[in-house]
Amino acid sequence: MSLFRMAGLAIVLVVSLLFAVFVGDQGPWYFAWVIGTVMIILISGAGAILLDSQLDSSPDNEV
Amino acid sequence: MDIINPTVVDLSRFQFALTALYHFMFVPLTLGLTFMLAAMETVYVVTGRKIYKEMAQFWGKLFGINFAIGVATGLTMEFEFGTNWSMYSRFFGDMFGTPLAIEGLMAFFMESTFVGLMFFGWDRLSKQAHLAITYLVALGSNLSALWILIANASMNVPEGGHFDPETMRMQFDSFVHVIFNPDAQSKFVHTSVAGYVSAALFVMGISAFYLLRGQHKQFAARSFRMAALFGIISTVAVITLGDVLGRMDYEKQPTKIAAIEGLWHTSKPPYEPWILAALPDDAKQENHFEIGVPFVLTPLIAHDFNTPITGLHELEDAAGPRIQSGIEAVSALRRYGETHQQADLDIFRAHEEDMGYGFLATRHAPNQDVTNISAEALPKVIEETKPDILPNVFVTFWAFRLMVFLALYFFALFAISSYVSLKNKLERNKLLLRLCLWSIPLPILATEFGWITAEAGRQPWTVFNKLPTFLSSSTHSVSYMVFSLAGFTLLYSIFIAAELYLMFKFARLGPEAHDAPHDDATQHPHLTAVSSTPSAAH
Repeated sequence: MSLFRMAGLAIVLVVSLLFAVFVGDQGPWYFAWVIGTVMIILISGAGAILLDSQLDSSPDNEV
Repeated sequence: MDIINPTVVDLSRFQFALTALYHFMFVPLTLGLTFMLAAMETVYVVTGRKIYKEMAQFWGKLFGINFAIGVATGLTMEFEFGTNWSMYSRFFGDMFGTPLAIEGLMAFFMESTFVGLMFFGWDRLSKQAHLAITYLVALGSNLSALWILIANASMNVPEGGHFDPETMRMQFDSFVHVIFNPDAQSKFVHTSVAGYVSAALFVMGISAFYLLRGQHKQFAARSFRMAALFGIISTVAVITLGDVLGRMDYEKQPTKIAAIEGLWHTSKPPYEPWILAALPDDAKQENHFEIGVPFVLTPLIAHDFNTPITGLHELEDAAGPRIQSGIEAVSALRRYGETHQQADLDIFRAHEEDMGYGFLATRHAPNQDVTNISAEALPKVIEETKPDILPNVFVTFWAFRLMVFLALYFFALFAISSYVSLKNKLERNKLLLRLCLWSIPLPILATEFGWITAEAGRQPWTVFNKLPTFLSSSTHSVSYMVFSLAGFTLLYSIFIAAELYLMFKFARLGPEAHDAPHDDATQHPHLTAVSSTPSAAH
């Protein structure tokens, strides 16, 4: 099972690299959009998780 | 009888502007909210905290209202290309129709299919599968915008096709050139992230409303935090891509960039100021007053300190030879259509690049036919046609400025909001919360101004340098246009009233599942209750 999973992830990795090379070369702003959108989602999510920990450790529960 | 009825052309333009601007009141929220939902649901799947599921469901409900009412209005425009712009569709349909068809068959179908699963799959799919569906909805809605903007870019910077004198229309050559058109790339990212800004301020504003009323505080604080961070990065991206688009216009559409800057005469670098405010007078071709910031225009447009930016007067003068060459191209084309003589085709090929300018001269030609222009009348026709190459400077100038001023305001608002939220001081800043609430419609306005800048600035062309707008419309009667325009206005007024009613109603109701146990007497119950039993969260 883990072998299949590893093979699957390897295929995803190869496809991602090919995508990055082709789109990065032909359409740099499309590539920037993909990377940027992922970054925006991750930072936004990280901000929410940070708020959780801030509230967990805050005695007055102020938002 | 004249083939061009200016009233019909103006009414067709007004109707398209009305339907397009109306449609685009819904689009930004769809583009941005889907990815915000994906972000909220990602946190839910990663942490198992139920409050994030409630956030995704509540904001998803508002997205659903927007999607249901907004999507249908986009279909109108696709029909308008056939009904009101049949000459354009005849000339450019091969180029324009391909991405439009892909949009319908691929992106819109994908979005519509997965939207159903997203709304009704919460209890039927695993957490991970539902998250994947939400991402596919977000991807589908943005891919939908991508194909539309690829089609739009081919009108602004026609690439990947050629004009065929046999069929008398533009024909598709290279799919890769059309997809990777630099204008399409930068315009797609600019538009998509403008949608992110709209969605972020929408979520932030409604969350601020709850915080001001002391309701759903745990829910609102998390939504506000996520939206503020989502918004600040998106605003930086939208401003960056705005600069890229400006650079694109400078290279490909010099009349648009000169109109945007209210630049009647070629600039004198490096001192030339960037005009903050002015009153451009299109009739007199001058600005009545100007307030500017010196040394800013040249680096802003040309990205250096030495390159002069060509002014509208100089662009107008430079168009003279192109109009003359275009008249020869169109005349040769007419002859070739009748006789199929190789000599006429050769003449056409020699002047093909200026064909659009020949079409532009049609309006001033005797009987609206350039083959009727005599050698004596030619200089007069050229002089009369030259001012036609300019867009409406007042509209383009101010639409651009309003968009830019709003973008700078969003940057400040998101930056302050992110800081205050990260410091957990939101409740102490009532003024900031009120500003966020009242700013909800502003990003939608900014995107509308953006479209006005792009489309009014492209005039007098529907296909830049190839096909004038006045030759693109159908030959309807004025009464037909007035009747259909009145119908659309009435129908869309009902749609917008229904949308606003539902949005206000559900936003006021708030996240119902979150109402009962919590609010502020207890400490964020969902966090403590759910985080300790993540497996029970779903």
